[in-house]
Amino acid sequence: MAQVDASEKGERLIFVDLLLGAVVALICGLDRVAIFQIMVSRPIVAAPLAGLVLGDPLAGLQVGLLVELLWLARLPVGAAVPPDDTQVAIAATVMVIILGPMLNASGTELTLISLLVAIPLGKFGQFFDHYARHYNVRLARQIELAFEEGSIAMAEWQHLRGLISFSCAAVATYVVILLGGLLLIPFLWPLLHQPLSYSGDWLALALPLVGIAVILGTVNVSRAITLFCASFGMAFLLMWLV
Amino acid sequence: MTLSWKTRLHVWFRLLFLQASWNFERIQGLGFFYALLPGLKKLYSKDELLSVGQRCVGYFNTHPYLAPLVAGAVLKLEEERAAGHGDSGIDINEFKEMVAAPYAAIGDALFWGGLRPLVAGIALFFCVKGILWAPLVFLVLYNLVPMWFRIVFFQRGYRQGLRSIEFIQRHNLPDWAIHTKEAAVVVLGGLSAFMVFSHLNTQHLPEWLGLLTLIPMIVMGLIARKGVSTLWLITLTSLTIVLGGLFWADVVRLINL
Repeated sequence: MAQVDASEKGERLIFVDLLLGAVVALICGLDRVAIFQIMVSRPIVAAPLAGLVLGDPLAGLQVGLLVELLWLARLPVGAAVPPDDTQVAIAATVMVIILGPMLNASGTELTLISLLVAIPLGKFGQFFDHYARHYNVRLARQIELAFEEGSIAMAEWQHLRGLISFSCAAVATYVVILLGGLLLIPFLWPLLHQPLSYSGDWLALALPLVGIAVILGTVNVSRAITLFCASFGMAFLLMWLV
Repeated sequence: MTLSWKTRLHVWFRLLFLQASWNFERIQGLGFFYALLPGLKKLYSKDELLSVGQRCVGYFNTHPYLAPLVAGAVLKLEEERAAGHGDSGIDINEFKEMVAAPYAAIGDALFWGGLRPLVAGIALFFCVKGILWAPLVFLVLYNLVPMWFRIVFFQRGYRQGLRSIEFIQRHNLPDWAIHTKEAAVVVLGGLSAFMVFSHLNTQHLPEWLGLLTLIPMIVMGLIARKGVSTLWLITLTSLTIVLGGLFWADVVRLINL
């Protein structure tokens, strides 16, 4: 009986965790494009925030550290839509927190598996974001109709309706990444746990460095590599020799 | 008629929702009209407002942090137009079109390309050390500059109207964008060195090995410059490291036998 109670409580808590994660995904997803843009949507903020809400901010901090730099070089310039690193970070944090006790796993390996599953699924975010922006074209027609009917209030409302499309895109991306993760990771964990125990720390170091390398390659500064090498060398020598 | 500070505050607040209906046809056009509406309502009668609205909701695309400068200036021009002094020789839509693209280019380079990596690099130092304040450091440091731009530039735009272009020219923002990007590269160099050094210490490996990290990083940077996506680079790196780890584990096992 006690076991049934514990299991029921566990299921309820998982549901609550998923829901709380969805709320964070919604708020951060809207900050990404639609409103404010105060950068709550950056992985370094969104992931620890999700972790804090779910009771493990350090798990979020680790995810944020690994994801923050990956797509920082992909600028949301003009009509370009970068991969949804916000939802990747939030969903990966939720996965780590939910799957940790279920798989009796913790540490870098689980974070890495969650990310290796979430990162490719983040491409869905681009698809949903594209769809939301296409859908919003209809709002322009609706606004013109509102003007023809002489209703300013209706025209105003059409603009705010755009928030619904962006909200749906954010939550849909979160759900897809999370579902993918929750279905795949229990199967992948027994297969990848051992290999990652040999190389997990190296991989955790490599992910941010890949992001930095991409920034280095794409930043429009003529002396980028020289500046980077000088800064790297100087900082490294200072830490090594002093 | 001069718009009251309450109306201007209302417009400024609505500019935070500029991209709520971002779409591939008009980009921020609907949002720009939505933001200006409290001001336009004070300036025009309902019938006039409908025709002004139709004029306002066209294509508009600029950087969201520099949009307040355009909005302030447009509000001033609308004010002059409503008062019958709109003889500056330039149409309001023409003005919007003229400034939107250059401001977008400046904003993209300065904020997305420069400030964001710079502040992320600084905050990640705290993150690597496991300090839970890292997200707050990022938020505070990052938002100081855009908020200053959003507030001050909106006021300047409203005060100076067409002359707000001279104001932005005086600030040499493209130069600042380059300096910020250079600073970001330097900070990211220091961050990489710090992460590599800490990792080698944890693994009890000789420190000099860390200097070799520069080689794969520069190679990957050059590959990224050729247009190879980050996702491919992550896949390639992950596979290499995992397979390398397995190989090394076997080597260690053989040696121990």
